[in-house]
Formats: sequence, C-alpha cells, structure tokens
Amino acid sequence: MALRERSFTSQRRNSTTMKRSKANFETWSWFFMRISGLILFFLALIHFSITHIFNDVTTTTVAFVAKRWANPLWRVFDWLLLALGLLHGSNGLRFIMDDYIRTPRRRAFAKALMYSLATVLFVVGTITIVTYKGTL
Amino acid sequence: MSTRSTVYKGKTGQWAFVLHRISGFLILMFILLHIIDISTINFPSVYASIHRLYGNVLMRTFEVGLLFGLTYHALNGLRVIMIDFFPGVIKNEKRLFVAMLSLSLLLTVVGGVIILKPFFTGKV
Repeated sequence: MALRERSFTSQRRNSTTMKRSKANFETWSWFFMRISGLILFFLALIHFSITHIFNDVTTTTVAFVAKRWANPLWRVFDWLLLALGLLHGSNGLRFIMDDYIRTPRRRAFAKALMYSLATVLFVVGTITIVTYKGTL
Repeated sequence: MSTRSTVYKGKTGQWAFVLHRISGFLILMFILLHIIDISTINFPSVYASIHRLYGNVLMRTFEVGLLFGLTYHALNGLRVIMIDFFPGVIKNEKRLFVAMLSLSLLLTVVGGVIILKPFFTGKV
C-alpha cells in the first residue's frame, strides 16, 4: 500500500516537474502582489493621511521627521513601506515592461536598469531610515 | 492601428485594468522621487527648501492626484484580490468597479479640500 502510494507520488512529481518549476516564480509573484498589496493598502494610506491630511505637508519638516523617528516603530513602519513599495512597484513595472517592450534585448536592458535603480534606492532609503540621528 | 486589432472592447474590466496600471506606474515614480527627497534629511537646509516646494499650489494639486491614484489603486487592488480568492465575486465585478471608483473619487474630493484649503485661505 505504502509502496504503491510512493510510486504514485513520485510518478506524479516526475510528470509535472518541468511544468511546475516553470510556473513557480510567476505563481509566487502573483501571490506576493496580493499579500504585499493588502499590507500596502494600510501602510500607504496611513502614511499619506499622516503627512497630507492630519498634518499639512508644510509642517513635515526635519523636526517633524526627527520626532517621528525617535520612535523605532515608526522607522520599522517606514522601512516596511519602502521595501514593500519598491518590491511591489518594481514587480508591477516588470509586468508593464513584459507587455510593451517587444524585443528581448531592449526588455533585458530596461529590466536591468530598473533593478539597478530600485536596488540603489532601496539602499539609499534603508541607510536614511536606519542611520538617521535626529537632534530634537 | 485600427480599433479592430484589439480584443478589448472597452468594457469596465479593461478600464479598471488601464487605470490600475497607470496609477501604479505614477505611484512608483513618486516613490522614487520621495526616497531621494527624504534622503536629504541629513542636510536640513536642502530638505527644507525641497519641502517648501511641496506646499506650492502646483505640488498640492499633484498631491491630490497622488491621493486619487493611491485610493483607486488600493481599492481596485482589493477588488482584484476579491475576484481572485472568492469565485462568486466575478458576477458583481462591474458593480464593484463602480463602487471602488466612486469611493476613491469621494475620498479624493474630501482629501483634496483638506490639502488645497491652506492655499485658498491664504496660509501658504
């Protein structure tokens, strides 16, 4: 019984290996967009409300940021927004590039440029949030 | 290109998709700009002069546009998630699109009044 079961699963694994490994990345990408989108729904709207609705944008001065970042939880909040926003956004831009850039070489070039830019900005943003020593 | 060459017939689902794409792209462009402007926090005078621009009426209008992009993308994203995870929702896909678009417009108008008010009351 057990033997038969094992042979069945291994057979199934063999027959779908090619298909599955090919579909895997896009499946995870699809899932990631839903989960990160759901988290960003709250993070982005809360962030916008704080900086544009409950406070006027002209009051978001250096002192304002220093006061907020005195609490490490706000740094975590902002870093999550940075990381998820960039990942969700660049993955979305990847879909757009796949749709509209038709030649493989241009597509590869555009994506390389985008990944580099996103990486640089992720590093710059992370350094800004982590290393800031505000003086109140 | 003739209109016949596309399979799309301009129904709600297509407009929901087009708006989602455009708003997503514009939000990403703003994130890139925003990371740069916040990174000047260690140079307070540079930060201050950039942030004075955000109080400008032109930038305030742009922020209202950003609010529409954000609320639409967020709410339509919820619609997409609902369609993906709950099979019955597809039947109400059109009504849901109208609801999400209306809600994002409403939030934009309310938020827009708050964002633009300082300009009309002469505070900036």
